[in-house]
Amino acid sequence: MKRIVLFPALLFLVSSAIVIAQGGAQGVRSDTLPPGKNPHLGNKESVRNGMTLYRWRCGECHALDATGYRGPDLTAVLPGMPDERLFQVVRQGVPGTEMPASNSPDDELLQLMAYLRNLSTVAPPDTPIGNVEHGKQLFAANCTSCHRVAGKGGRLGPDLTRVGAARSRTALVREIRTPSDWVPPGYETVTVVTKDGQKIRGAKKSEDVFSVQVMDMRERLQGYIKSNVQEVIYDKASLMPAYPAQRLSDSDLNDLIGYLTTLRGADVTVQ
Amino acid sequence: MRRALLLIVLCSITLAAQQGPPVITSQDLMDGLKDPTRWLTYSGNYFGHRHSPLTQITPENVSKLTAQWTFQTGSLGSFQATPIVVDGILYVSGFNNNAWAIDARSGRQIWRYRHNVPDDLHVCCGAVNRGLAVLGDKVFMNTIDAHLLALDMKTGALLWDAKLADYKMGYSATAAPLVVKDKVIIGMAGAEFGIRGFIQAHDVETGKPAWRFYTVAGPGEPGGNTWPQGTDAYLHGGGSIWVTGTYDAEQNLVFYGTGNPGPDYFSANREGDNLYTCSLVALDADTGKVKWHFQFTPHDVHDWDSTQVPVLADNVMINGQPRKVVMFANRNGFFYVIDRVTGKLIHAKPFVTQTWAKEISPEGRPIMIPGNQPTETGTRTCPDLGGGTNFMSPSYDPTTGLFFVTARETCAVYFTWEQPYQPGVQWESGGTQRPRDQRNFGALRAIDPKTAERKWEFQYTSVSSSGVLTTASGLVFAGDGDGNVMAFESRTGKNLWHYQLGVAIRSTAGTTYMVDGRQYFLVPSGSALTAFALPQ
Repeated sequence: MKRIVLFPALLFLVSSAIVIAQGGAQGVRSDTLPPGKNPHLGNKESVRNGMTLYRWRCGECHALDATGYRGPDLTAVLPGMPDERLFQVVRQGVPGTEMPASNSPDDELLQLMAYLRNLSTVAPPDTPIGNVEHGKQLFAANCTSCHRVAGKGGRLGPDLTRVGAARSRTALVREIRTPSDWVPPGYETVTVVTKDGQKIRGAKKSEDVFSVQVMDMRERLQGYIKSNVQEVIYDKASLMPAYPAQRLSDSDLNDLIGYLTTLRGADVTVQ
Repeated sequence: MRRALLLIVLCSITLAAQQGPPVITSQDLMDGLKDPTRWLTYSGNYFGHRHSPLTQITPENVSKLTAQWTFQTGSLGSFQATPIVVDGILYVSGFNNNAWAIDARSGRQIWRYRHNVPDDLHVCCGAVNRGLAVLGDKVFMNTIDAHLLALDMKTGALLWDAKLADYKMGYSATAAPLVVKDKVIIGMAGAEFGIRGFIQAHDVETGKPAWRFYTVAGPGEPGGNTWPQGTDAYLHGGGSIWVTGTYDAEQNLVFYGTGNPGPDYFSANREGDNLYTCSLVALDADTGKVKWHFQFTPHDVHDWDSTQVPVLADNVMINGQPRKVVMFANRNGFFYVIDRVTGKLIHAKPFVTQTWAKEISPEGRPIMIPGNQPTETGTRTCPDLGGGTNFMSPSYDPTTGLFFVTARETCAVYFTWEQPYQPGVQWESGGTQRPRDQRNFGALRAIDPKTAERKWEFQYTSVSSSGVLTTASGLVFAGDGDGNVMAFESRTGKNLWHYQLGVAIRSTAGTTYMVDGRQYFLVPSGSALTAFALPQ
């Protein structure tokens, strides 16, 4: 028995992770990192246990090699994240994302952390690679109509305010050069043809047998009852245009990624 | 003195009259849905049909169905149970060891019982419960911490509490019990923690165990040679039971589907067929002795529990001959029709896309396609670990002779790694990922058991875990993975009605019953029960 896929896969992954976390063994469950050095750090047995825990609870979203799948690339995230923060993220989850909270005992989280600290990570360079200023200009010229950074820009594509912390350089290159390789849920391309022939193209936000919910190219959110429209056309190509080398040189790509890696979150606290 | 004696006699008579006869008899259970105002067992009848004789709601008027009331548990956790209906009262269990009696007319709670949930629970998939059983004036309930309880049907008071196994070792009980004659039969879940699964019968009056059948054969027992000799692999061999079985009174046999071997994906330490995991077992209801078994997936490495409902039917015409059969839409992607008397395969065909077996041999053994073993680097196989179908109940309509099942079209990349067994620790030795280019979806499919061929399907946009209910008026009720409950014409699959519940139906299907001459269609989803009926 176990983890039976029920809802859309992402929801399932989240719920199963919560369920598994809730089913942990006995032990203390702290809100913050327990004081003192992680006793499991460097311990071969602990690292192995941590690997098993990671593969069960994290691998589905972050990939078995931790380079990111549906969730962020941990090899890019971990170097800049102190233990206190890492513990907090695993314990409390990340509000507003699919990352669930964990109710596992501290000891399991510490073993998990011992494994994560053993991974071969790709630390972000102290000085970003490429011409960041030029990358920013490229971003403003090509990307901001659809992508938002720190509250400015379009909303048709994913918000990139934290993309530098969430994606490795490799993942960013892939997503810029060949965005149609994988389109995340909530951003798949769809065209609704109304009964009077009007075509509404946009990002599919949700869908079931009887209805589809769309953000059109003008960012208008609208639900459609399928029986009231002529046709719903699904397109495997992403709404985001591909940027092959002919369109964006390797040098420009380097500058753009240099800028993107500086995007590591904005403080939205109201003072 | 004579006056006092008379008073005692009168009081006794009055008390006896107040207590009345048992509410539910063994014959009532045998009769199944003969009185269609009630719903007395998990699948409606012992054969597992989930097919109601009620005809007030028809294909012509089903579009007028309207929500009448909603019952909310007020807490997180989804219903997976099929409510029992006895004379206008619902008996239903839910998340975290809760049980309720509810007025079927209004949705108002009558009593609530809660068995404590330990803090150090070891379960793979939440503190779920798939339903209750009834006999006499007792309600029987399994608990997530592996107890079997008897409750007073009138008050919800605890009558007896039988501990089944040690929950700290990963044992849990989630399926609805099955009452047969004077015994209440349960199954044990927890294969992901290296348990040794079993099916067990208890005396309905006292709760004392009557027999136990291990779903993992031990040394010296029939099937024991299908596990490595001289090791303790069988002690952690899995074989969970987490879906309720069925009963053939004529042969006095109970039928249960069994779960995956443990550990799920790494199998070097459990060489052999691993009986009786991933099997159908036919057990004598009085003794628990196995009469025959049929193993669907020998030496499973994909977590394809065979814990689906075995559906029994008579007079299924096979090559011009009426046969007593058991039908089984398996998680491994094949639909099987098996002779219920001999346990021999009649035929088996895929009912979803599958990539692991070329076919099922006439003897019932899958002919494997090489290259589907999970590896360290991953192997893509269809279906995924959720399977071609799963714990969601199918339905069989004996009048049309069609079998209805929620099918899942999925694939996964399967990984495996070695992991030592530790008591009470999750022990799967592997995992899966969904390939990025994989579009999973679900469908309601009608299959003709005479040929194992599909008659029609209705596709959903996502995978579904909803069970199926059919009615004699020619309706099929089912749900998609997006929260819709739907009605279809059973002969054609034409969609006739839908209602967005907000949360998808999971495991169970809708139930239907009659109160005050009005047919209700009741749907558990999320933490709510919603009752529909035609406008008055």
